[in-house]
Order: sequence, then structure tokens, then C-alpha cells
Amino acid sequence: MFAGIDVGSLTAEALVIDEGRIVGSEIISVLPNPVDSARAAMGALLARSGLDWGDLTYTVSTGYGREQIQRQGLARENLSEISCHGLGAHTLDPEVRTIIDIGGQDAKVIKLDTKGRLEDFVMNNKCAAGTGHFLEAMSRALGVGLEELGPLAMKSKKPLAMSNRCTIYVETEVIHYLQRGASREDVAGGITLAMADRVLSLVRRIGPESKIMITGGVAKNKAVKAALEKALGMKIVYPDLDPQLIGAYGAAVYAAAKGGSK
Amino acid sequence: MITVGCDVGSLFSKAVVMDGDEIIGKRMIATTGRIAAEVHDLLKAVMKSAGISADRVDCLGATGNGAALVKDAAFREDTITCAGAAAGYFLPEVRCAIDVGGQSITSIAIDEEGGVRNFMRNDKCASGSGRFLEMMSAKLGIALPEVDKIAAGAKTVVEISSQCGVFAESEVITHVNNGENKGDILAGVCSAVAKMVSAQGRRFGAAEHFTLLGGVAKIDTITTMVRKSLGGCYHPFPFDPQLATAVGAALLGDAD
Repeated sequence: MFAGIDVGSLTAEALVIDEGRIVGSEIISVLPNPVDSARAAMGALLARSGLDWGDLTYTVSTGYGREQIQRQGLARENLSEISCHGLGAHTLDPEVRTIIDIGGQDAKVIKLDTKGRLEDFVMNNKCAAGTGHFLEAMSRALGVGLEELGPLAMKSKKPLAMSNRCTIYVETEVIHYLQRGASREDVAGGITLAMADRVLSLVRRIGPESKIMITGGVAKNKAVKAALEKALGMKIVYPDLDPQLIGAYGAAVYAAAKGGSK
Repeated sequence: MITVGCDVGSLFSKAVVMDGDEIIGKRMIATTGRIAAEVHDLLKAVMKSAGISADRVDCLGATGNGAALVKDAAFREDTITCAGAAAGYFLPEVRCAIDVGGQSITSIAIDEEGGVRNFMRNDKCASGSGRFLEMMSAKLGIALPEVDKIAAGAKTVVEISSQCGVFAESEVITHVNNGENKGDILAGVCSAVAKMVSAQGRRFGAAEHFTLLGGVAKIDTITTMVRKSLGGCYHPFPFDPQLATAVGAALLGDAD
């Protein structure tokens, strides 16, 4: 059995495959230390699947603290998030050429060649606008759960334009809209467009090619995906796996390739 | 000639009453939601502080985000022109004024006649603005007027590596949870603000004779760091630098 561990800014994921099939996966909220997060995520997966650390032939770590996780003996090897995401998406759908990965604190656009090799990538980890953090701050301002934001935005008839980019200023704008009695649906619609706009500027820098796959926690927001599709005039596919697990899946696929050949 | 300048900013609204180039009354209040009513009260309060009646005012000039809500203004002017006019009048040697306001950092190039030659504004991003400082000090439980006192007690500067206000806030929380000294974290926050202010000033040629305006310029910890970073010759604004834009609006009323 082969395993991948992906520690992000907000969540950590573990995934185990056996002969190419996923036999277990786990998503947990991160602990202060990435090594503890990795141990907890994999520990929970193993306990739930009735497995043991000894059952894992080869494990690969990725994400924050991937080197530390390897040094602590929880993984045999570590690999960059970009490579793991590319590998995970390519394994799920070999036709994927562009991956839009929006996580809790960063956003990446990865381009693959026809063989699934990394061609190029761009990343925003400097500014919270266009990351999961933006949506979190806005759902807080709207007083709804993060998972309710997408469905609310889908009901918007006339999304309200946000004139700012900065998360801090858009938050103020949202509050002002609500104070003036704007509909929550239309505010949510405006938030979605502002979010998509920031992601688009990143996507356009790399020049997207079909197929495009969306991954990361924000992929679960259907309104953001729809706004991106509309603006790009291209269809975006949603993976056949929880979009938060793509990195861990890619790590496990790499583990199987490395560990299986030894 | 009695003139009044009223600057309705994003975080604070300020008003000054001037007799020629002398400030005879000043007031500042937090800008909340009811701007028109707030401006009304502010103008009443500033006249009271000057000790003269409103009918003696020759000209009322308005500026700032909410200038349109100053009903009786004789003219409305943008903040860059006003801040530039104030710096140009009181500090004739200054060629660059960096105005660090609630939601923006603006570098203003001033010519020999005291007029605005050029400007550059960052209002897209909260990084380094008054809002940024306010957010970070709030997370530390420190009120803005206390910043200098508490930062003075810092033994070391805890570095804040993020520019983004959202990420910097998370960093501050992490440092607090790790048990770092509040003064040390605050010094890190001040250093982050100073870095962003200096970077913008440097791009705009603030190395020679410059001044700092706006609420953030009141924090000595930050102005000291900016001076150290920019070198050159720093000319402090002779009055409360947070009032500079309102002072400029009043001065422009005298010139008209």
C-alpha cells in the first residue's frame, strides 16, 4: 500500500492507494505543527481503515513542512505541491492541461504538457484576495457558513460590483452594502465575481488550455467555478475525487511509482 | 481672513479653523456610517473650539472621500492637492510628502512654488496603511495612541514577513500564541509599515527633503524607522500631521 500526506495552511490530507485504488482518505484541520498534522491525518485514516503504519510500503509527503515530515520518519520522500497536484490531476484525467488550485492561503495555476509533465506554473501567496481566506472573511461578514456562500451566490439575480480588490477593503464594502439593505444573494454574487476576478488575473498570466480542472477547497464553491467558466468562455472540470485530496493523491501515486519499482 | 478646512477621511474626519496661516481651532472624530450628521457636528464643534461664530467664516473648503457630504462647502478639492498645499506652504524646502492615510499611501512630488508636480497612490491594498496598523494593534489589544509607548519597550523586533494585511494578522496571532512579547511584535508591525512607506517614498524620490503626513506620521516609532530607511532630510510637519490635509483645504480657501 502506498500513501500521500499533504499538509496545507488550513487542512491536512492523507490518502492511501492499493493497486491504483483509493482505499482510504482523511481531511483534518491543521494542528500548529505540520508534523503533528501529518501524524494525526494519517493516524485517523489508518484507524478508520483498520490499518497500521507498518502496512504502508512507501509514503510521500507534500505541502507545508514536507521535509520535516520526512525527517521525522513519517514519509520516505517528499515532493513539491506543484508536482503532486500535476500528477494527481493527470492520473485522474490524462487530458487535463491546466489546473486551477485554490487553497486556503494561496492560489496556483499549473500547466501540464500532453504527457502530464509540468510545463509552467504561477502562484499567488502574497495577497489574500483570490484565495480561500478571502471567501472565509466574506462569509463571516455576511454571517453565513463558508459552504453556504456558493449556493447563496447562485441565487443572485444582479451581483453587486465590488470596487476594491483588497480583502480588507472588500470586507468593508460588503458591510456597507448590507447596511444599505442590499440583498444577501446579490452581495454573495458580487463576492464571487471579485474572487473570480483575482483568480482570472492569475489564470490569464499563464494562458489556459483545455481541459481545465479546478482543485483545492475553493473548487467546492460552484458559483466561483461557474464565474470562472463564464469569464474564460471555457469549461472547467471538477475532479472525480474530493478536490482537496488531489495533492495527497498525487503524492500517493508518486509513492506507488517509486516504492513499487524497488 | 477666517477659513475652515474639512477632511472627511475613511477612518477619521478632521476640521480646522484658520486665521491666515494660524490654526485657531481643530477637531477630529471617527468616521462611521452617518457621515452627513457627523460632519455637521464636527463643524459645530470646531467653531466652538475656535471660539468664534460660524458667520465669521469667509470660506469652507472640503476634501476627502466624503467631501460631497460637506453641504455648505464653498469648494471641494482632492486630498492630494490639499496635502501638497499644506506641505508646500509650511515646509518650502520639501519636495516629497508621503501621506499615510487610513486606506492609502500617497507620495506627492512638490515643486518650488509649493504646487503638486506629480503623485503616486496605493489604494488597492491595505498594506502599510492606517487600517493595517489599526488591525494589527487591535489584535495585540493596543490602542493607537499607546503604540509609541509600548513599542519603546521592545527588546527585539519580531519580523512580520507578510505584506498582505490578512496574512500579517495571522502572523501576529501566531506570535501572540507563541508567547512573544507584545512590544516586540508591535515593533515588528511598525517596521512592516515603515518598510512599505519607505518603499513607496523611495520609488518617488523621497531621498532628499521629505515630510510625512497623515495619522500614521504621528507614530514616532514609524517615522524614525522611515527616516533611517530613506536617509535624506526629514522635515516634520509643524502641526498634527493627521490634520495636514484639512489645513491644506483651509489654506486653499484663503488663496481663492
